[in-house]
Amino acid sequence: MRKCRLVFIFTVFLLSAPAFTHDIITTPVTWNREISRIFYSRCIACHREGGMAFSLLDYREAFPWRTAIKEEILERRMPPWGAVKGFGDFRNDQALTPEQLELVTSWSQGGSPEGEAKDLPSKDKLEEMMKESAWYGNAAHAGRQSGEIIAKGDFKLTNSFVLDGLFPRNVPQSGSFQIIAEFPDGRIEPLLWLEGYKEQFAHVFLLQTPLELPAGTMITGIPAGSSIALLPAPKD
Amino acid sequence: MRAALLSLILALVAGQTPAPLPSQNAGDVYICPMDPDVRSNNPGKCARCGMALVAGLPDPVEYHLDLSISPRPIKPGQPASLLFAVHDPWKNRPVTNFQVVHEKLFHMFVVSQDLEVFLHNHPTLGSDGLFHYDYVFPKAGMYRVLGDFYPDGATPQLIAKTVIVPGQAPKPATLARDYSAKDAENLTVELVTEPQQPISGAKTQMIFRVKPADGLEKYLGAWGHMLVASADLIDMIHEHPFIADGGPQIQFNVIFPRAKNYRVWVQFQRKGVVNTAHFDVPVKELGNYIARLPPQPN
Repeated sequence: MRKCRLVFIFTVFLLSAPAFTHDIITTPVTWNREISRIFYSRCIACHREGGMAFSLLDYREAFPWRTAIKEEILERRMPPWGAVKGFGDFRNDQALTPEQLELVTSWSQGGSPEGEAKDLPSKDKLEEMMKESAWYGNAAHAGRQSGEIIAKGDFKLTNSFVLDGLFPRNVPQSGSFQIIAEFPDGRIEPLLWLEGYKEQFAHVFLLQTPLELPAGTMITGIPAGSSIALLPAPKD
Repeated sequence: MRAALLSLILALVAGQTPAPLPSQNAGDVYICPMDPDVRSNNPGKCARCGMALVAGLPDPVEYHLDLSISPRPIKPGQPASLLFAVHDPWKNRPVTNFQVVHEKLFHMFVVSQDLEVFLHNHPTLGSDGLFHYDYVFPKAGMYRVLGDFYPDGATPQLIAKTVIVPGQAPKPATLARDYSAKDAENLTVELVTEPQQPISGAKTQMIFRVKPADGLEKYLGAWGHMLVASADLIDMIHEHPFIADGGPQIQFNVIFPRAKNYRVWVQFQRKGVVNTAHFDVPVKELGNYIARLPPQPN
């Protein structure tokens, strides 16, 4: 009986093993060259030892997560930027570009090779890339700011306002919301398309260029029960 | 011996990180700027699109693309002038030197929120360093405008912008599977996918067959062009054929990012005429994703 059980366990091992053996490498994209650079600039601010999530700093740490990483980024759940790219322009944009999405997908699907050590970014470069992350310095924007306006529902500006950024508050955890500015002359500017924004990863959206909103501008598309802080541009 | 075998099996079953892989990239690497998966250890031309391979690997940084439109507000059915300005991401300096990609400096795609409007055209670079294009937005509502360009010394850029034309917007598209053969300008396009049911995050082979195939020509340096857009217009992907030789069968490989419905436009040129056809592809999710997550480290 004991022998039968051992044979059974060994057979299960043998049947299970191929799923975890080396994948065939079908991609020229490597961790050391392309993927580490993307992760250092977009993920490592949180995914590091002592950070708020498990570490993805090193190839050996990232490799077991390769399939989950691909699915998380394709679904735009990670990085948790929570907004659709190209609806408003943000200077702290942390969403992955189409090129970065393609590279990570190719790496994940193609056997996830490590590549050559000489291709890894230097430590200085790593620190520089990490500082590009929007999550650094976020705390400075988390509190109420002098001169900010809290917009709820369809909101009409009574005075002109130079908009520097937006900070969502109490936004529903799921759903898709397009926030736009309707100018008195009829033109419409896209401000922010929230998609999967999570309070857990609350952050500010800082415009690439401050936008002058004349008195009478309507801000619409804010989800019910939510508010958006309209952040003023610093005065010269 | 038995212990070593057991530990090997346990390591395999536990999914541990494999031993270091053999070198994938000996020596210099030459990359196709348009098809980043086409690389060589020797200089030369891309087998897929014919572009010269470039040495090294520039950091993949995103440039700024500003789109201004006049007159404002935009009126449906009225001419509008589109101006695209490109700035570098470091000091926001205007960028005026670009590489030719598929015979053009700038490729532009325009798609309306109901997915009824599709345009692939090419703004021209003016002496002011801006790309110009005159367009009539045919109806009110949201449009996504995709700019595809390649600044000198950078990586190719694919940047989406959003334009909202005031007025009564059309309802967003609701797509159902449509693989039916399409009669385009001077050929018919058929589609088969492998797998038959595309899965999000996994490769789908999209195999198009055109009839008749005599007189098929490259259009803008490629045997075909494809734009993939999700019904919500969040995903927009520009692809070129993976396998094509001027014959009737043209294969694109696509990874649909999400389990959504997608519209796929393809363009093929025959006897000087550009043919455009579209198909609708529902994409499903593969099983229980959570079950495949590795355990959280302590």
